[in-house]
Amino acid sequence: MSKQAMNKPAMNKPAMNKPDNPQGTTHKQAFDEPLWWGLFSAGGVCFAVFLPAVILFVGVLLPLGLLPAEALSYQRASAWLFSVPGVLFAGAVVCLPLFHAAHRLRHGLFDIRVGSDTVNKKVMYGAAALLSVLALGVVLAGMLS
Amino acid sequence: MDKSSSQRFDPLTRTWWLKHRFFKLYMVREATVLPLVFFILCLLAGFVSLLQGADSWQGWVAFMGSPIVLALNLLALAASLFHAATFFVLFPRVMPLRIAGHRLPDNMIVAGQWAGVLAVALLFFWLLGRA
Repeated sequence: MSKQAMNKPAMNKPAMNKPDNPQGTTHKQAFDEPLWWGLFSAGGVCFAVFLPAVILFVGVLLPLGLLPAEALSYQRASAWLFSVPGVLFAGAVVCLPLFHAAHRLRHGLFDIRVGSDTVNKKVMYGAAALLSVLALGVVLAGMLS
Repeated sequence: MDKSSSQRFDPLTRTWWLKHRFFKLYMVREATVLPLVFFILCLLAGFVSLLQGADSWQGWVAFMGSPIVLALNLLALAASLFHAATFFVLFPRVMPLRIAGHRLPDNMIVAGQWAGVLAVALLFFWLLGRA
């Protein structure tokens, strides 16, 4: 399967991007797409392999009080997060899945024809990048304090 | 794909995907990222609360236990498993594995990935199952 075929048909086609491309004559080569698809795949693996366990333990069992009392106490949780494994945790559980989500949302908006892809792309990947920087920044700040 | 290919298609309506079960499932899979984003934002808030101190962390745990948040995170758990189920079957199609010239059966590759999910869950159980 070629790279073009992997992409959705007409994603970059002039006819589908009228607001951004009134003449509809040029066809820009998208050099950045392999990066977004790569982050999408990596995030997809993390979403499938890591997120079920993280959501189960942190999002369900912890608030329900089904973990041992001190399992995720403030001391324990902060010692774990503000460490080198914590950086990897943030990368695998926050940053990469965010880019996966951004990619799916961008393509989903295109599928239901909401907004223009040129703008959606910047908003989605921009938001994923900002939140990733925030996550890694918090972990690094915790390591330094 | 040639430049004129778009002219062969009629413009899509917003609801084209409602017309066929396959496309509906596709859109459900696309939508699995919505509860995922919700959980990630919750988790990010948890990161910030850890930075702020013990009281803030306790407040965050209480927030995670409020009924709507808990319900949305249960939805995120279901969504992550649905995403995994659809994602794992793609692997053998995109990258068939061969061992000593023999193609590894698809269902073994899929089972191997589920074993990975289980291994991560067991790691969490080992880390958090005892205080």
